Amino acid sequence: MDFNAIAEHLSVANVPGLLSVDLPRPPDKKTKDKGRSGLPHVCVDPACMVEFLTFCRDDEALGFEVLIDLSASDPSVDDENLWILIQLLSVRHRHRLGIKSLLPKSALSMPSSTRVYRAAQWHERECMEMFGVTFEGHPDPRNMLLPDDWPGYPMRKDYEFPKEYHGISCE
Amino acid sequence: MTSPTETSATEDEHKPSIRPADEVRILASGEREFFMDVATSDLEINMGPQHPATHGVMRVLLRTDGELVTGAQPHLGYLHRCAEKIGESVEWLQYLPYTDRYDYLSAMNNNLSYSLAVEALMPELEIPRRGTMIRMICAELNRIASHLVAFGTYGLDIGAFTPFFYAFREREWIQALFEKICGARLTYSYIRIGGVFNDTPPGWLREVADFCDVFEGKWQEYYDLLIENHIFVQRTANVGVITAEMAYDFGLTGPMLRGSGVDFDLRRDMPYLEYGQAHDAGAFGVPLGTGEKGTLGDCWDRTQVRMKEMIECLGIVRWCLEQIEPGPIIGNVPRVIKVPPGEAYVGIENPRGELGHYLHSDGGKIATRCRVRAPSFVNLAVLEDLMPGSLLADAVAIIGATDIVVGETDR
Repeated sequence: MDFNAIAEHLSVANVPGLLSVDLPRPPDKKTKDKGRSGLPHVCVDPACMVEFLTFCRDDEALGFEVLIDLSASDPSVDDENLWILIQLLSVRHRHRLGIKSLLPKSALSMPSSTRVYRAAQWHERECMEMFGVTFEGHPDPRNMLLPDDWPGYPMRKDYEFPKEYHGISCE
Repeated sequence: MTSPTETSATEDEHKPSIRPADEVRILASGEREFFMDVATSDLEINMGPQHPATHGVMRVLLRTDGELVTGAQPHLGYLHRCAEKIGESVEWLQYLPYTDRYDYLSAMNNNLSYSLAVEALMPELEIPRRGTMIRMICAELNRIASHLVAFGTYGLDIGAFTPFFYAFREREWIQALFEKICGARLTYSYIRIGGVFNDTPPGWLREVADFCDVFEGKWQEYYDLLIENHIFVQRTANVGVITAEMAYDFGLTGPMLRGSGVDFDLRRDMPYLEYGQAHDAGAFGVPLGTGEKGTLGDCWDRTQVRMKEMIECLGIVRWCLEQIEPGPIIGNVPRVIKVPPGEAYVGIENPRGELGHYLHSDGGKIATRCRVRAPSFVNLAVLEDLMPGSLLADAVAIIGATDIVVGETDR
Protein backbone atom coordinates (compact mmCIF):
# COMPACT_ATOMS: atom_id res chain seq x y z
CA MET A 1 0.00 0.00 0.00
CA ASP A 2 1.14 3.55 -0.56
CA PHE A 3 0.96 6.17 2.15
CA ASN A 4 -2.52 7.45 1.27
CA ALA A 5 -4.00 3.96 1.34
CA ILE A 6 -2.38 3.28 4.73
CA ALA A 7 -3.69 6.57 6.15
CA GLU A 8 -7.15 5.81 4.76
CA HIS A 9 -7.07 2.31 6.27
CA LEU A 10 -6.03 3.71 9.67
CA SER A 11 -8.78 6.33 9.74
CA VAL A 12 -11.46 3.85 8.61
CA ALA A 13 -10.41 1.43 11.35
CA ASN A 14 -10.67 4.31 13.85
CA VAL A 15 -7.36 3.43 15.51
CA PRO A 16 -6.89 5.03 18.95
CA GLY A 17 -4.49 7.96 18.93
CA LEU A 18 -4.56 8.84 15.22
CA LEU A 19 -4.65 12.64 15.04
CA SER A 20 -3.83 13.85 11.53
CA VAL A 21 -1.72 13.33 8.46
CA ASP A 22 1.40 15.40 7.76
CA LEU A 23 1.81 15.62 3.99
CA PRO A 24 4.46 17.37 1.90
CA ARG A 25 3.21 20.53 0.19
CA PRO A 26 4.67 22.80 -2.47
CA PRO A 27 5.83 26.31 -1.49
CA ASP A 28 3.27 29.09 -1.85
CA LYS A 29 4.56 32.60 -2.55
CA LYS A 30 1.26 34.38 -1.76
CA THR A 31 1.04 33.18 1.84
CA LYS A 32 4.87 33.18 2.15
CA ASP A 33 4.66 29.48 3.01
CA LYS A 34 8.03 27.84 2.38
CA GLY A 35 6.33 24.46 1.82
CA ARG A 36 7.53 21.14 3.03
CA SER A 37 9.39 18.58 0.95
CA GLY A 38 10.23 14.98 1.77
CA LEU A 39 8.07 12.12 2.92
CA PRO A 40 4.64 12.05 4.64
CA HIS A 41 3.95 11.08 8.27
CA VAL A 42 0.92 10.21 10.36
CA CYS A 43 0.59 12.18 13.61
CA VAL A 44 -0.23 10.12 16.66
CA ASP A 45 -1.07 10.98 20.25
CA PRO A 46 1.95 9.83 22.33
CA ALA A 47 -0.29 8.57 25.16
CA CYS A 48 -1.89 6.03 22.78
CA MET A 49 1.36 4.96 21.11
CA VAL A 50 1.30 1.39 22.44
CA GLU A 51 -2.26 0.75 21.20
CA PHE A 52 -1.45 2.37 17.86
CA LEU A 53 1.69 0.29 17.30
CA THR A 54 -0.07 -2.89 18.38
CA PHE A 55 -2.75 -2.26 15.77
CA CYS A 56 -0.13 -1.57 13.07
CA ARG A 57 1.68 -4.80 13.93
CA ASP A 58 -1.33 -7.10 14.22
CA ASP A 59 -3.57 -5.76 11.45
CA GLU A 60 -3.47 -8.13 8.47
CA ALA A 61 -3.60 -5.43 5.78
CA LEU A 62 -0.87 -3.28 7.40
CA GLY A 63 1.38 -6.04 8.77
CA PHE A 64 4.20 -3.87 10.14
CA GLU A 65 6.39 -6.59 11.65
CA VAL A 66 9.51 -4.48 12.06
CA LEU A 67 10.15 -1.29 13.99
CA ILE A 68 13.00 0.20 12.02
CA ASP A 69 13.75 3.31 14.02
CA LEU A 70 12.61 5.30 17.02
CA SER A 71 14.16 8.65 17.78
CA ALA A 72 13.32 12.20 18.68
CA SER A 73 13.96 15.61 17.24
CA ASP A 74 14.13 19.01 18.87
CA PRO A 75 13.01 21.45 16.14
CA SER A 76 14.20 24.62 17.90
CA VAL A 77 14.77 26.22 21.29
CA ASP A 78 11.51 28.16 21.02
CA ASP A 79 9.37 25.18 20.04
CA GLU A 80 7.13 23.92 22.82
CA ASN A 81 7.20 20.34 21.60
CA LEU A 82 9.69 17.59 21.03
CA TRP A 83 8.98 15.23 18.13
CA ILE A 84 9.05 11.49 18.62
CA LEU A 85 9.67 9.83 15.26
CA ILE A 86 9.02 6.18 14.51
CA GLN A 87 9.62 4.31 11.27
CA LEU A 88 7.81 1.04 10.64
CA LEU A 89 8.44 -1.48 7.89
CA SER A 90 6.29 -4.29 6.60
CA VAL A 91 8.33 -7.12 5.15
CA ARG A 92 5.40 -9.04 3.71
CA HIS A 93 3.61 -6.04 2.14
CA ARG A 94 6.78 -4.10 1.31
CA HIS A 95 5.66 -0.73 2.61
CA ARG A 96 6.76 1.78 5.21
CA LEU A 97 5.09 4.19 7.59
CA GLY A 98 6.52 7.22 9.31
CA ILE A 99 4.93 8.19 12.64
CA LYS A 100 5.36 11.51 14.34
CA SER A 101 4.06 12.48 17.74
CA LEU A 102 4.46 15.77 19.55
CA LEU A 103 5.49 15.62 23.16
CA PRO A 104 5.35 18.87 25.17
CA LYS A 105 8.74 19.79 26.62
CA SER A 106 7.08 20.53 29.95
CA ALA A 107 6.00 16.86 30.37
CA LEU A 108 8.43 14.62 28.51
CA SER A 109 6.89 11.29 29.27
CA MET A 110 5.19 8.60 27.21
CA PRO A 111 4.57 4.86 27.48
CA SER A 112 7.36 2.55 26.35
CA SER A 113 6.86 0.65 23.09
CA THR A 114 9.12 -2.19 24.21
CA ARG A 115 6.14 -4.45 24.86
CA VAL A 116 5.11 -4.20 21.21
CA TYR A 117 8.52 -4.28 19.54
CA ARG A 118 11.66 -5.40 21.37
CA ALA A 119 13.64 -3.34 18.87
CA ALA A 120 12.38 -0.21 20.64
CA GLN A 121 14.38 -1.03 23.77
CA TRP A 122 17.77 0.29 22.72
CA HIS A 123 16.34 3.14 20.66
CA GLU A 124 14.37 4.33 23.68
CA ARG A 125 17.42 4.11 25.92
CA GLU A 126 19.32 6.32 23.50
CA CYS A 127 16.38 8.70 23.28
CA MET A 128 16.18 8.92 27.08
CA GLU A 129 19.80 9.95 27.58
CA MET A 130 19.97 12.26 24.54
CA PHE A 131 16.63 14.08 24.91
CA GLY A 132 15.51 13.45 28.47
CA VAL A 133 12.30 11.70 27.44
CA THR A 134 10.95 9.24 30.01
CA PHE A 135 9.52 6.02 28.60
CA GLU A 136 7.27 4.63 31.29
CA GLY A 137 7.60 0.91 31.81
CA HIS A 138 10.98 0.61 30.12
CA PRO A 139 12.66 -2.56 31.43
CA ASP A 140 16.25 -1.26 31.46
CA PRO A 141 16.47 2.55 31.53
CA ARG A 142 20.26 2.86 31.81
CA ASN A 143 22.40 5.12 29.63
CA MET A 144 23.27 3.59 26.28
CA LEU A 145 26.13 5.59 24.77
CA LEU A 146 26.95 8.28 27.33
CA PRO A 147 28.68 7.77 30.69
CA ASP A 148 26.28 7.24 33.58
CA ASP A 149 27.07 10.60 35.17
CA TRP A 150 26.86 12.75 32.05
CA PRO A 151 25.05 16.03 32.82
CA GLY A 152 22.25 17.29 30.61
CA TYR A 153 20.65 16.01 27.42
CA PRO A 154 23.07 16.63 24.54
CA MET A 155 20.69 16.45 21.58
CA ARG A 156 18.40 19.18 22.94
CA LYS A 157 18.83 22.52 21.22
CA ASP A 158 19.21 24.32 24.56
CA TYR A 159 22.08 22.05 25.66
CA GLU A 160 25.12 23.84 27.03
CA PHE A 161 28.42 22.13 26.37
CA PRO A 162 30.18 21.28 29.64
CA LYS A 163 33.42 23.11 30.42
CA GLU A 164 35.07 20.10 31.98
CA TYR A 165 34.43 16.45 32.73
CA HIS A 166 36.16 14.85 35.74
CA GLY A 167 38.95 17.39 35.62
CA ILE A 168 39.43 17.03 31.84
CA SER A 169 39.02 20.36 30.09
CA CYS A 170 36.55 20.26 27.21
CA GLU A 171 37.51 23.63 25.76
CA MET B 1 58.50 -12.43 51.60
CA THR B 2 56.27 -14.56 53.76
CA SER B 3 57.30 -17.28 56.15
CA PRO B 4 56.43 -20.92 55.34
CA THR B 5 53.92 -21.16 58.17
CA GLU B 6 51.94 -18.18 56.91
CA THR B 7 51.79 -19.58 53.36
CA SER B 8 50.39 -22.88 54.51
CA ALA B 9 47.78 -21.09 56.58
CA THR B 10 46.48 -19.13 53.56
CA GLU B 11 46.52 -22.27 51.43
CA ASP B 12 44.29 -23.97 53.96
CA GLU B 13 41.83 -21.09 53.79
CA HIS B 14 41.54 -21.28 50.01
CA LYS B 15 41.29 -25.02 49.84
CA PRO B 16 38.08 -25.86 47.96
CA SER B 17 35.62 -27.56 50.22
CA ILE B 18 34.67 -30.65 48.26
CA ARG B 19 32.41 -32.79 50.30
CA PRO B 20 32.42 -36.56 49.98
CA ALA B 21 30.01 -37.99 47.48
CA ASP B 22 26.48 -37.83 48.77
CA GLU B 23 25.50 -41.00 47.07
CA VAL B 24 27.30 -43.74 45.15
CA ARG B 25 25.37 -46.02 42.88
CA ILE B 26 26.85 -49.08 41.23
CA LEU B 27 25.65 -49.47 37.67
CA ALA B 28 24.93 -52.77 35.92
CA SER B 29 28.21 -52.47 34.00
CA GLY B 30 30.08 -52.42 37.29
CA GLU B 31 30.96 -48.71 37.00
CA ARG B 32 30.31 -46.50 39.96
CA GLU B 33 28.28 -43.33 39.51
CA PHE B 34 28.75 -40.48 41.98
CA PHE B 35 26.19 -37.87 42.90
CA MET B 36 27.74 -34.83 44.44
CA ASP B 37 26.27 -31.62 45.72
CA VAL B 38 28.91 -29.09 44.65
CA ALA B 39 28.19 -25.45 45.33
CA THR B 40 28.95 -23.31 42.26
CA SER B 41 28.38 -19.64 41.72
CA ASP B 42 27.98 -17.54 38.59
CA LEU B 43 31.11 -15.88 37.31
CA GLU B 44 30.97 -12.52 35.60
CA ILE B 45 33.44 -12.08 32.77
CA ASN B 46 34.13 -8.88 30.90
CA MET B 47 34.61 -9.71 27.26
CA GLY B 48 36.30 -6.57 26.01
CA PRO B 49 36.56 -3.58 25.72
CA GLN B 50 39.71 -4.73 23.93
CA HIS B 51 38.78 -8.28 22.98
CA PRO B 52 39.86 -9.02 19.39
CA ALA B 53 36.53 -10.68 18.55
CA THR B 54 34.54 -7.51 19.26
CA HIS B 55 36.17 -5.86 16.20
CA GLY B 56 36.55 -2.56 17.93
CA VAL B 57 36.00 -1.21 21.39
CA MET B 58 32.98 -2.90 22.87
CA ARG B 59 32.39 -4.74 26.13
CA VAL B 60 30.05 -7.64 26.68
CA LEU B 61 29.43 -8.52 30.30
CA LEU B 62 29.01 -12.29 30.31
CA ARG B 63 27.59 -14.19 33.24
CA THR B 64 28.73 -17.78 33.14
CA ASP B 65 27.92 -20.92 35.04
CA GLY B 66 30.91 -23.10 34.28
CA GLU B 67 31.08 -23.31 30.49
CA LEU B 68 27.52 -22.15 30.08
CA VAL B 69 26.64 -18.51 29.39
CA THR B 70 23.63 -17.51 31.48
CA GLY B 71 23.52 -13.82 30.62
CA ALA B 72 25.06 -11.28 28.29
CA GLN B 73 24.88 -7.53 28.45
CA PRO B 74 26.57 -5.44 25.75
CA HIS B 75 28.02 -2.13 26.95
CA LEU B 76 28.48 0.42 24.20
CA GLY B 77 29.67 3.97 23.92
CA TYR B 78 33.45 3.59 23.92
CA LEU B 79 33.55 4.91 20.36
CA HIS B 80 30.78 7.47 20.63
CA ARG B 81 31.77 10.50 18.55
CA CYS B 82 28.52 12.51 18.61
CA ALA B 83 27.88 12.02 14.87
CA GLU B 84 24.26 13.11 15.19
CA LYS B 85 25.17 16.28 17.08
CA ILE B 86 27.84 17.10 14.50
CA GLY B 87 25.16 16.62 11.83
CA GLU B 88 23.28 19.53 13.39
CA SER B 89 26.35 21.75 13.53
CA VAL B 90 27.96 21.57 10.08
CA GLU B 91 26.69 22.28 6.57
CA TRP B 92 25.01 19.57 4.51
CA LEU B 93 28.02 18.76 2.38
CA GLN B 94 30.49 19.14 5.23
CA TYR B 95 28.77 16.30 7.06
CA LEU B 96 29.48 13.82 4.27
CA PRO B 97 33.00 12.86 5.50
CA TYR B 98 31.52 12.05 8.92
CA THR B 99 29.25 9.44 7.32
CA ASP B 100 32.39 7.58 6.19
CA ARG B 101 33.23 6.99 9.78
CA TYR B 102 30.19 5.10 11.08
CA ASP B 103 30.80 1.85 9.30
CA TYR B 104 34.30 2.37 8.01
CA LEU B 105 34.21 -0.90 6.06
CA SER B 106 31.39 0.26 3.80
CA ALA B 107 31.93 4.01 3.51
CA MET B 108 30.58 4.18 -0.07
CA ASN B 109 27.22 2.85 1.09
CA ASN B 110 27.16 5.30 3.99
CA ASN B 111 27.80 8.21 1.61
CA LEU B 112 25.05 6.88 -0.62
CA SER B 113 22.50 6.64 2.19
CA TYR B 114 23.15 10.20 3.33
CA SER B 115 23.16 11.57 -0.22
CA LEU B 116 19.88 9.85 -1.06
CA ALA B 117 18.28 11.24 2.10
CA VAL B 118 19.35 14.80 1.22
CA GLU B 119 18.17 14.28 -2.35
CA ALA B 120 14.77 13.15 -1.06
CA LEU B 121 14.42 16.68 0.34
CA MET B 122 15.50 18.26 -2.96
CA PRO B 123 12.94 17.03 -5.50
CA GLU B 124 14.21 19.37 -8.21
CA LEU B 125 17.69 17.92 -8.23
CA GLU B 126 18.27 15.51 -11.10
CA ILE B 127 20.91 12.80 -10.91
CA PRO B 128 22.57 11.98 -14.24
CA ARG B 129 22.42 8.34 -15.28
CA ARG B 130 26.19 7.89 -15.46
CA GLY B 131 26.39 9.14 -11.86
CA THR B 132 23.80 6.56 -10.80
CA MET B 133 25.70 3.76 -12.53
CA ILE B 134 29.02 4.72 -10.94
CA ARG B 135 27.24 4.90 -7.58
CA MET B 136 25.92 1.37 -8.02
CA ILE B 137 29.28 -0.01 -9.12
CA CYS B 138 31.03 1.57 -6.12
CA ALA B 139 28.35 0.50 -3.65
CA GLU B 140 28.49 -3.10 -4.81
CA LEU B 141 32.30 -3.29 -4.92
CA ASN B 142 32.28 -1.87 -1.41
CA ARG B 143 29.77 -4.50 -0.36
CA ILE B 144 32.11 -7.21 -1.62
CA ALA B 145 35.03 -5.64 0.26
CA SER B 146 32.96 -5.42 3.42
CA HIS B 147 31.75 -9.01 3.21
CA LEU B 148 35.33 -10.13 2.55
CA VAL B 149 36.35 -8.61 5.88
CA ALA B 150 33.34 -10.20 7.57
CA PHE B 151 34.23 -13.59 6.12
CA GLY B 152 37.97 -13.31 6.78
CA THR B 153 37.73 -12.08 10.34
CA TYR B 154 34.97 -14.53 11.20
CA GLY B 155 37.33 -17.33 10.27
CA LEU B 156 39.98 -15.64 12.37
CA ASP B 157 37.64 -15.39 15.35
CA ILE B 158 36.92 -19.07 15.47
CA GLY B 159 40.38 -20.33 14.64
CA ALA B 160 40.79 -20.48 10.86
CA PHE B 161 43.71 -18.22 10.04
CA THR B 162 44.21 -18.83 6.32
CA PRO B 163 41.01 -17.44 4.75
CA PHE B 164 41.76 -14.04 6.28
CA PHE B 165 44.81 -13.54 4.05
CA TYR B 166 42.97 -14.57 0.91
CA ALA B 167 40.08 -12.25 1.79
CA PHE B 168 42.43 -9.33 2.35
CA ARG B 169 44.26 -9.98 -0.91
CA GLU B 170 41.03 -9.52 -2.88
CA ARG B 171 39.96 -6.58 -0.71
CA GLU B 172 43.28 -4.92 -1.45
CA TRP B 173 42.41 -4.93 -5.15
CA ILE B 174 39.06 -3.25 -4.48
CA GLN B 175 40.79 -0.66 -2.31
CA ALA B 176 43.28 -0.01 -5.10
CA LEU B 177 40.35 0.52 -7.47
CA PHE B 178 38.80 3.00 -5.06
CA GLU B 179 42.13 4.73 -4.60
CA LYS B 180 42.27 5.27 -8.37
CA ILE B 181 38.78 6.73 -8.49
CA CYS B 182 38.87 9.01 -5.44
CA GLY B 183 42.30 8.90 -3.81
CA ALA B 184 41.20 7.32 -0.53
CA ARG B 185 41.34 3.71 0.54
CA LEU B 186 38.88 3.60 3.40
CA THR B 187 37.00 6.86 3.92
CA TYR B 188 35.99 7.88 0.43
CA SER B 189 33.45 10.75 0.55
CA TYR B 190 33.16 9.96 -3.14
CA ILE B 191 29.40 9.68 -3.58
CA ARG B 192 28.19 13.26 -3.23
CA ILE B 193 24.81 14.92 -2.99
CA GLY B 194 23.65 14.99 -6.62
CA GLY B 195 25.93 12.33 -8.06
CA VAL B 196 29.56 11.41 -7.63
CA PHE B 197 32.61 13.59 -7.11
CA ASN B 198 34.83 12.59 -10.01
CA ASP B 199 34.56 10.72 -13.30
CA THR B 200 36.22 7.34 -13.67
CA PRO B 201 39.88 7.48 -14.73
CA PRO B 202 40.76 5.93 -18.13
CA GLY B 203 40.73 2.13 -18.07
CA TRP B 204 39.05 1.96 -14.67
CA LEU B 205 35.87 0.28 -15.88
CA ARG B 206 37.91 -2.32 -17.75
CA GLU B 207 39.82 -3.07 -14.56
CA VAL B 208 36.54 -3.47 -12.65
CA ALA B 209 35.47 -6.03 -15.27
CA ASP B 210 38.81 -7.83 -14.83
CA PHE B 211 38.28 -7.89 -11.08
CA CYS B 212 34.84 -9.46 -11.53
CA ASP B 213 36.25 -12.22 -13.71
CA VAL B 214 39.13 -13.02 -11.38
CA PHE B 215 37.05 -12.83 -8.22
CA GLU B 216 34.38 -15.14 -9.56
CA GLY B 217 37.00 -17.86 -10.00
CA LYS B 218 38.45 -17.33 -6.52
CA TRP B 219 35.09 -17.22 -4.78
CA GLN B 220 34.36 -20.92 -5.09
CA GLU B 221 37.79 -21.63 -3.59
CA TYR B 222 37.00 -19.52 -0.53
CA TYR B 223 33.58 -21.03 -0.17
CA ASP B 224 35.06 -24.53 -0.10
CA LEU B 225 37.94 -23.43 2.09
CA LEU B 226 35.89 -21.98 4.93
CA ILE B 227 32.14 -22.31 4.54
CA GLU B 228 32.12 -26.00 3.61
CA ASN B 229 34.98 -26.82 5.96
CA HIS B 230 33.95 -29.54 8.40
CA ILE B 231 35.44 -27.82 11.46
CA PHE B 232 33.80 -24.52 10.52
CA VAL B 233 30.42 -26.21 10.11
CA GLN B 234 30.82 -27.88 13.51
CA ARG B 235 31.59 -24.53 15.14
CA THR B 236 28.74 -22.58 13.55
CA ALA B 237 25.84 -24.90 12.68
CA ASN B 238 23.06 -24.98 15.31
CA VAL B 239 24.80 -22.14 17.17
CA GLY B 240 23.01 -18.84 17.90
CA VAL B 241 19.72 -19.69 16.19
CA ILE B 242 17.56 -16.65 15.34
CA THR B 243 14.01 -17.48 14.30
CA ALA B 244 12.13 -15.27 11.87
CA GLU B 245 9.81 -14.03 14.65
CA MET B 246 12.78 -13.08 16.79
CA ALA B 247 14.39 -11.29 13.85
CA TYR B 248 11.22 -9.24 13.29
CA ASP B 249 10.85 -8.45 16.97
CA PHE B 250 14.40 -7.15 17.29
CA GLY B 251 14.18 -5.22 14.01
CA LEU B 252 17.03 -7.10 12.37
CA THR B 253 17.80 -6.28 8.76
CA GLY B 254 20.22 -7.33 6.05
CA PRO B 255 22.02 -10.69 6.18
CA MET B 256 20.87 -11.16 9.80
CA LEU B 257 17.25 -11.19 8.60
CA ARG B 258 17.88 -13.19 5.44
CA GLY B 259 19.90 -15.74 7.38
CA SER B 260 16.66 -16.58 9.20
CA GLY B 261 15.02 -17.37 5.88
CA VAL B 262 13.09 -14.11 5.44
CA ASP B 263 13.07 -13.16 1.78
CA PHE B 264 13.59 -9.41 1.96
CA ASP B 265 16.17 -7.19 0.34
CA LEU B 266 15.64 -3.44 0.04
CA ARG B 267 17.47 -3.39 -3.28
CA ARG B 268 14.85 -5.66 -4.81
CA ASP B 269 11.73 -4.97 -2.74
CA MET B 270 11.94 -1.20 -2.27
CA PRO B 271 14.33 -0.31 -5.07
CA TYR B 272 16.43 2.82 -5.10
CA LEU B 273 18.87 3.97 -7.82
CA GLU B 274 18.37 1.44 -10.65
CA TYR B 275 18.38 -1.77 -8.63
CA GLY B 276 14.81 -2.47 -9.69
CA GLN B 277 15.80 -2.48 -13.38
CA ALA B 278 18.88 -4.55 -12.57
CA HIS B 279 16.75 -7.16 -10.82
CA ASP B 280 14.23 -7.23 -13.67
CA ALA B 281 17.12 -7.88 -16.04
CA GLY B 282 18.10 -10.85 -13.88
CA ALA B 283 21.35 -9.27 -12.67
CA PHE B 284 21.03 -10.45 -9.08
CA GLY B 285 19.11 -12.72 -6.77
CA VAL B 286 18.66 -12.72 -3.02
CA PRO B 287 20.42 -15.57 -1.17
CA LEU B 288 18.61 -16.86 1.91
CA GLY B 289 19.39 -19.03 4.89
CA THR B 290 18.28 -22.59 4.31
CA GLY B 291 19.14 -24.49 7.48
CA GLU B 292 21.16 -26.82 5.27
CA LYS B 293 23.85 -27.67 7.85
CA GLY B 294 21.83 -27.33 11.02
CA THR B 295 18.91 -25.16 12.08
CA LEU B 296 17.46 -22.32 10.03
CA GLY B 297 18.90 -19.03 11.24
CA ASP B 298 22.12 -20.30 12.82
CA CYS B 299 25.55 -18.71 12.51
CA TRP B 300 26.40 -20.85 9.50
CA ASP B 301 23.33 -19.62 7.62
CA ARG B 302 24.19 -15.98 8.21
CA THR B 303 27.76 -16.48 7.04
CA GLN B 304 26.79 -18.31 3.88
CA VAL B 305 24.24 -15.59 3.04
CA ARG B 306 27.04 -13.00 3.18
CA MET B 307 29.27 -15.24 1.14
CA LYS B 308 26.67 -15.82 -1.60
CA GLU B 309 25.79 -12.13 -1.68
CA MET B 310 29.26 -11.38 -2.99
CA ILE B 311 28.55 -13.34 -6.18
CA GLU B 312 25.23 -11.53 -6.59
CA CYS B 313 27.08 -8.20 -6.29
CA LEU B 314 29.23 -9.20 -9.27
CA GLY B 315 26.05 -9.59 -11.33
CA ILE B 316 24.99 -6.03 -10.49
CA VAL B 317 28.45 -4.62 -11.28
CA ARG B 318 28.47 -6.39 -14.65
CA TRP B 319 24.97 -5.13 -15.47
CA CYS B 320 26.10 -1.57 -14.68
CA LEU B 321 29.21 -1.98 -16.82
CA GLU B 322 26.95 -2.91 -19.74
CA GLN B 323 24.59 0.01 -19.12
CA ILE B 324 27.06 2.79 -18.40
CA GLU B 325 27.39 5.50 -21.06
CA PRO B 326 29.41 8.70 -21.28
CA GLY B 327 27.72 11.74 -19.82
CA PRO B 328 27.66 14.05 -16.82
CA ILE B 329 28.25 12.53 -13.39
CA ILE B 330 26.79 15.09 -11.01
CA GLY B 331 23.63 17.20 -11.12
CA ASN B 332 23.47 20.95 -10.79
CA VAL B 333 24.47 21.34 -7.14
CA PRO B 334 25.51 24.73 -5.76
CA ARG B 335 28.71 25.09 -3.76
CA VAL B 336 26.76 25.82 -0.59
CA ILE B 337 23.69 23.63 -0.53
CA LYS B 338 20.44 24.99 0.82
CA VAL B 339 17.90 22.25 1.39
CA PRO B 340 14.19 23.17 1.22
CA PRO B 341 12.25 22.77 4.47
CA GLY B 342 11.02 19.26 5.05
CA GLU B 343 11.75 15.93 6.60
CA ALA B 344 12.53 12.56 5.11
CA TYR B 345 13.64 9.13 6.17
CA VAL B 346 15.58 7.10 3.61
CA GLY B 347 16.96 3.65 4.33
CA ILE B 348 19.13 1.64 2.00
CA GLU B 349 20.58 -1.86 2.01
CA ASN B 350 24.04 -1.60 3.55
CA PRO B 351 26.26 -4.68 3.86
CA ARG B 352 25.14 -4.99 7.50
CA GLY B 353 21.48 -4.14 7.10
CA GLU B 354 19.37 -1.06 6.67
CA LEU B 355 21.27 2.18 7.10
CA GLY B 356 18.77 4.98 7.33
CA HIS B 357 18.99 8.72 7.70
CA TYR B 358 16.15 10.81 9.02
CA LEU B 359 16.88 14.38 8.01
CA HIS B 360 14.94 17.46 9.01
CA SER B 361 15.64 20.78 7.34
CA ASP B 362 14.18 24.18 8.11
CA GLY B 363 15.41 25.56 4.80
CA GLY B 364 18.87 26.60 5.90
CA LYS B 365 22.46 25.57 5.30
CA ILE B 366 22.49 23.25 8.32
CA ALA B 367 20.28 20.31 9.24
CA THR B 368 17.88 20.68 12.17
CA ARG B 369 18.06 16.98 12.90
CA CYS B 370 20.27 14.27 11.45
CA ARG B 371 19.29 10.90 12.81
CA VAL B 372 21.31 7.83 11.86
CA ARG B 373 19.62 4.45 12.02
CA ALA B 374 22.65 2.20 12.21
CA PRO B 375 22.20 -1.48 11.37
CA SER B 376 24.97 -2.74 13.67
CA PHE B 377 23.41 -0.96 16.64
CA VAL B 378 20.07 -2.66 16.10
CA ASN B 379 21.50 -6.05 15.20
CA LEU B 380 23.65 -6.10 18.32
CA ALA B 381 20.60 -5.91 20.61
CA VAL B 382 19.75 -9.51 19.78
CA LEU B 383 22.84 -10.70 21.72
CA GLU B 384 21.03 -10.25 25.03
CA ASP B 385 18.61 -12.97 23.98
CA LEU B 386 20.89 -15.08 21.85
CA MET B 387 23.77 -15.70 24.24
CA PRO B 388 22.06 -17.19 27.32
CA GLY B 389 22.17 -20.95 27.06
CA SER B 390 25.11 -21.10 24.69
CA LEU B 391 28.61 -22.28 25.53
CA LEU B 392 31.32 -19.79 26.36
CA ALA B 393 33.30 -20.87 23.31
CA ASP B 394 30.28 -20.11 21.13
CA ALA B 395 30.03 -16.54 22.42
CA VAL B 396 32.77 -15.50 20.02
CA ALA B 397 31.10 -17.37 17.16
CA ILE B 398 27.80 -15.60 17.84
CA ILE B 399 29.31 -12.10 18.04
CA GLY B 400 31.36 -12.78 14.90
CA ALA B 401 28.30 -13.88 12.91
CA THR B 402 26.45 -10.72 13.97
CA ASP B 403 29.15 -8.88 12.01
CA ILE B 404 29.13 -5.57 13.81
CA VAL B 405 31.32 -2.56 13.25
CA VAL B 406 31.67 -0.66 16.50
CA GLY B 407 32.09 2.66 14.73
CA GLU B 408 28.50 2.24 13.66
CA THR B 409 26.98 0.97 16.90
CA ASP B 410 28.32 3.99 18.77
CA ARG B 411 28.36 6.59 16.00
